[in-house]
Amino acid sequence: MPKPPAVVPPVATLSGIKSSDVFSRLVDTVSDYAIFVLDPRGNISSWNPGAQKLKGYSAAEIIGKHFSVFYTAADLAKDKPGYELAAASKVGRFEDEGWRVRKDGSRFWANVVITRLLDDEGGLIGFGKITRDLSERRLSETRYRLLIDGITDYAIFSLDATGHVTSWNSGAQRIKGYTPDEIIGKHFSAFYPDEDRKAGFPETVLHTAEKEGHFEGEGWRVRKDGSKFWANVVVTALRDEEGTLTGFSKITRDLTDRKLLLDELKRHAAELELRVRERDQSNAELEAFAYSVSHDLRAPLRAISGFADALREECAQQLDQSGLDYVKEISDASRRMNNLVQDLIEYGRVGRISAPLASVNLLNAINEATRQLGEVPAGSLKVDVRADLFVCAHPQMLTQVIYNLLSNALKFHKKDSVPQVCASAEEHDGVVRLNVRDNGIGIAPEHQERIWNVFERLHDRETYAGTGIGLAIVKRAADRMEGSSGVISQPGDGSTFWIELPRGPAK
Amino acid sequence: MPLTPVLLVEDDPTDFRLIQRAFNKLSNGFQMFRLTNGDEAVEYLAGDGPYENRGAYPMPAILLLDLKLPRRSGFEVLEWLRRQVSGLNRLPVIILTSSRHSTDINRAYDLGANSYLVKPDTGAQLEELAAQFRTYWLRMNEFPSLRPEIAR
Repeated sequence: MPKPPAVVPPVATLSGIKSSDVFSRLVDTVSDYAIFVLDPRGNISSWNPGAQKLKGYSAAEIIGKHFSVFYTAADLAKDKPGYELAAASKVGRFEDEGWRVRKDGSRFWANVVITRLLDDEGGLIGFGKITRDLSERRLSETRYRLLIDGITDYAIFSLDATGHVTSWNSGAQRIKGYTPDEIIGKHFSAFYPDEDRKAGFPETVLHTAEKEGHFEGEGWRVRKDGSKFWANVVVTALRDEEGTLTGFSKITRDLTDRKLLLDELKRHAAELELRVRERDQSNAELEAFAYSVSHDLRAPLRAISGFADALREECAQQLDQSGLDYVKEISDASRRMNNLVQDLIEYGRVGRISAPLASVNLLNAINEATRQLGEVPAGSLKVDVRADLFVCAHPQMLTQVIYNLLSNALKFHKKDSVPQVCASAEEHDGVVRLNVRDNGIGIAPEHQERIWNVFERLHDRETYAGTGIGLAIVKRAADRMEGSSGVISQPGDGSTFWIELPRGPAK
Repeated sequence: MPLTPVLLVEDDPTDFRLIQRAFNKLSNGFQMFRLTNGDEAVEYLAGDGPYENRGAYPMPAILLLDLKLPRRSGFEVLEWLRRQVSGLNRLPVIILTSSRHSTDINRAYDLGANSYLVKPDTGAQLEELAAQFRTYWLRMNEFPSLRPEIAR
């Protein structure tokens, strides 16, 4: 095969060969396109290697035959070949895509261009025909179309530049209820509720997509039967190579279920908010209750205690030993009741405090708590905490917690032994842990859960006094301060109570 | 030496009796007047009605005020008192109440209380309070004038 000459004018300079010969040689080298010439009646008068490769006929077999042999029976029935030649001779050019038949009877998807050939006087001398095999492209387009058609969860369809439906997939049919026949050619504003249509919303959608390339939104749309669904819609402008708007693609999803779910969630949220408001109100009532408890309940207590004291002081001579014992019982009972009321108020207060947490120096809080403890047996309390440790806490609450832990640790010592209590702290992963270790009686594992409950006591009052609220306050306060509390203990082996709080920034 | 008049506003008769008993244990030097509600307190201080008779109802040198009172609360009495411009507004006021609520404590000081005491739980503590009160407020403390004199 001769080397393909470079197609550069002036062709006449190429080895003195006539230009018409150069072109025929060029055509002869093209193997990807079938390029051949028909006479005015449609009989084949030339044949290139591309034509042979594509259609299977050799030049000898096909020259002189009518080009209608390349058409399918269906096209022949419509006299498509005759129509195409007539069209080409009338307007100069005819282009088409469609099925064509090879020599062996197999089909291929062809792009066909038929060009009218005229002589110098304008008389028809024949047609040039260029055929390309687009089977591959056709296949991928078919796959693509089948893919889109097969999608039922999304309505995928196209609109022309003015908004009329030009294609319709099965998802569109499922979601909107129209068959392709019913909707193709109709304007897409049919999918919008009346009020949106009157407000010009469909036009706004197309306008936005045209201007910005893209429109996305959610809203109510209308099915064929008039029912509404909540749609997520994406509209994309389609442009040809020159940038001219050719139409729009539109993808619509039915999100009614999600919308209803979201609405329900919103309703629940609103209800929750209402409940919270109601709770805030009942908290306020509780606050008023606690206030009146602290104020009114303690007044008779003061009277009982005060007059018991007065009785002992002023009437001691008139009382015998058992009378004095009874007075002492009254005094002790009123003191216990007073402690109970005070602890309960504190427990309630800890649950309600909503003051913001601050960075509190742990050692300062421990020192304040020990100051409140007052006198302790010499050498019984050791504090081993760095001065530069800060925790996120409510200052008074923290002091109360430490006070409770220390007084507990000092209280529950073994009979006839001096308490040894050590407060130490460690820091890990942004959390500060305060340990309060004692050498006391310890707590059996089965009791270690219970001790944190209100009014929970493990001992009779005569052995260890107390209200049974102290640890409940510790737990509640630690929870309120976004921390935690716990105990490690063995009976007879002492206990280590701990609280953990988020580390605070140094001040 | 004339007795220093102390005005106590306390509605609870039991509390009053206990307070009275504690104060009576001290050697005298003061005279205690008792009222049982907030309206009376305002009338007394303003010298309205029977209280015009300052011979029988002398102007107190110091006011011991409960917070939870019938008709007009201790807060309202305090508020009224500090609003006066006659010099009466300078009267030292000591809150004596059973509330330990920080909101009450802060509000009392905001309104101009000079001290805030919580009623003790036992007779012994109450006697201690009475003794300290007398030492500090009646012996050490200097009293202001309750007449419209300009501070120089």
